[in-house]
Amino acid sequence: MTSARFRDLLAAEWIKLWSLRSTSWLLGLGTLAIVALAAQSSLDAYQGWPGFTAMEKARFNPLTEAFSGLAACMLMIGAGSLGALTIVGEYATGLIRTTLIAVPVRHRVVAAKVTVTATVTLVAGALVSAGTFGVSHVILSGRGVAVSVGDPGVLRVLAANALLAPVSALVGMGIGALARHTAAVVVSVCAALVIVPMFFRPTVHQWVNDLYALVPFYVWRTCLGLPQLRDDPALPTVAGSWAAFALWPLAAAAVTLIVVRHRDV
Amino acid sequence: MTCVNVGDVIEVNGLTKRYGAVTAVKDLTFVVRPGHVTGFLGPNGAGKSTTLRLILGLNRPTAGSATIGGGPFARHRAGLRHVGALLDAGDVHGGRSAAAHLHALAAGNGLPRRRVAEVLDEVGLAGAARRRIGGFSLGMRQRLGIAAALLGDPPVLLFDEPINGLDPEGVRWVRGLFRRLAAEGRTVLVSSHLMSEMENTADQLVVVGRGELIAAESLAAFAARGAGASVAVRTPDPAELAAVLSAEGASVRPDGADGLTVTGLSATRIGELAHQRRIMLYELAPRTASLEQAFMELTADRADHRAADCAADRAGHRADRGAADRAADRARHRADALEGRP
Repeated sequence: MTSARFRDLLAAEWIKLWSLRSTSWLLGLGTLAIVALAAQSSLDAYQGWPGFTAMEKARFNPLTEAFSGLAACMLMIGAGSLGALTIVGEYATGLIRTTLIAVPVRHRVVAAKVTVTATVTLVAGALVSAGTFGVSHVILSGRGVAVSVGDPGVLRVLAANALLAPVSALVGMGIGALARHTAAVVVSVCAALVIVPMFFRPTVHQWVNDLYALVPFYVWRTCLGLPQLRDDPALPTVAGSWAAFALWPLAAAAVTLIVVRHRDV
Repeated sequence: MTCVNVGDVIEVNGLTKRYGAVTAVKDLTFVVRPGHVTGFLGPNGAGKSTTLRLILGLNRPTAGSATIGGGPFARHRAGLRHVGALLDAGDVHGGRSAAAHLHALAAGNGLPRRRVAEVLDEVGLAGAARRRIGGFSLGMRQRLGIAAALLGDPPVLLFDEPINGLDPEGVRWVRGLFRRLAAEGRTVLVSSHLMSEMENTADQLVVVGRGELIAAESLAAFAARGAGASVAVRTPDPAELAAVLSAEGASVRPDGADGLTVTGLSATRIGELAHQRRIMLYELAPRTASLEQAFMELTADRADHRAADCAADRAGHRADRGAADRAADRARHRADALEGRP
C-alpha cells in the first residue's frame, strides 16, 4: 500500500470545496455581480461622456469604471468568507475530528487547504479582473476612452485586482481558525479586510501612513489599483504594497497552521 | 474485504487529561488486544470519549501516553489505513452528500474510489449515497460514521456509543459486524454507558468511572464481581414462602406484590420446598449474576451525573455521609430494577 501523497490531500480538499453548493453559488453569482457592476458603471460613463466637463474628461480613469472600490469590497468579502468557511465549516460542525482521524499529520491538512483555497480564489479573482476589464473595454471603446492592457500600469492594476481574492481568502482562513464561530468570523472578516481600512486616509503623521501601508485594501486603493501614481511620500510604494499583499496571506497561513496544530479538537 | 489483518495493540499508559480544575481522565492504564471486541464501559461523563480522543491524538494528554501499534497515532499520513474510528455521528458537514463526504476521506488517504460504494453498500446506505447528510436520521449518520471507519480496511477500530439511534435491526447488524471484525483479527474497542449493550457483543471489558480505571478484564471475570446468582419467584402467598425459604437459610427480598428475589437456594430446591408445603408458584426463574448489576455496583459511587449525586454535590462540603449512603442505596435499587433486563 502506498501512503497518501500530497496530491491526494489536494484532491480531498478539492472535493470538499466543490461538494458544498454554497461554493459554486458564491463564486458564480459573485463573479457575475461584479462583472454586471462593471457593465453598468461603464454604460453610465458611456452615456454621460458628452456631458462631462473638460476636467472630468481629463481625470477620467476607465479602470475604475471596470473595477471600482465597491467591486473590490465585494470581491474581498466574498473571497474572505469562502476562505473562512473552509476552516469554520470543519470546526463548527465537528468535521475537523473526522478529517484529522483520516489525516493525523495536521500540517499537511492545513497546507492542502491553503493551496486549494488560494488556487481557486486566484482563478476566480483572475476571471473577475479579466471579465470586468473586458466588458468595460468593449463599452468604453465606443467613446475612444478605453485603455489597453499594454498601457503603463494597466497590467499591474489587473494583477492587483485579481490578487485581492486569494489574499482575502487566506486572511479569512486565518480569522476562521482563530474565531471558529460562523457569525463572529464573517463579521471579523468584513471588519478586518474592508470596513476598518475604508476609513484610512493619508495623514500628516508619517508613522500612521507607514502603518496604513501595511494594509491590503489601503494599498490597493492608494497605489496598486491606480494606473498612474503620484510621487508622494505619504502614499505607499509599489514594492511596499506588493509586500503587504504577500505578508498578510503568509501570516494568515502561519496562524492557521499553528492554531490547527496545537488546538485540541 | 480480502486482506486479513493482524490487529495492532492499543496501549494506554498513565494517561491523564485535565481541563483547568477538572480531571477528565486520571492515570488510566490498560491494553486492548486484537481478535476481541473490547467493551469500553462507564457512566456518562466517565471520560470515555476523552480517552478515545487522546488515543487518536485529537487531544493532547496532560500526562502519560497512548499508542496504537507501538507508536502515537498522530504520526500517520494516511490514518484510515491504520485506524477506523467513529467518535460522534455528528462529525460531518450536513451540506455534503454521503458519497461526497466519503469520497473526500478516501481521496485524502489515496484509497480507490470504489471503496466508497463498497462501504456504503456494507452499511446499508447505498440508496442514500447522493442525499445530503443534513437530512439523515441519527441512525443513518451512525451508519455513515461506521462506513467512514471501514473505508481504509484498518486493523484497529474505535467506536464511541455506536448503538445510539440505531433501530433494533441496526443494533443486531452492528453487533454482528463488531464480532466479525474481531474474528478477522482486528482490534475492536466499543464504548458504551449501558452494560446491556456489551453483554452480547464484547468478550473483554475496560470499565471506567470518573476518569479512573475500575476494571480491565474478561466479561466473565467482571460478571463474577456482581452479587451471586438469584432466583425470581412469584406466588399468591409470598409471606409464607418467604418464611419457609428463610428457615432454609436463604436470603429473601420482596419484589412487587407477589414476587420474591431469593439468593442462597437453587431454583430446584425452592420448587421442592414449595411443593412440600403445597404453596402454589406462578413463576420460578433462575437468574445468573447480572452484568448490569456488577456494573452499577462498581460504578455507583463514581457516576458523575446522577441526580442523587448532584443533590449531594449541591449540599457541598456539608454533604453528610447519610446523603451519600442514600445515593448509593438508590443506585443499588436501580441496579435491582435492571437485573431482569436481557
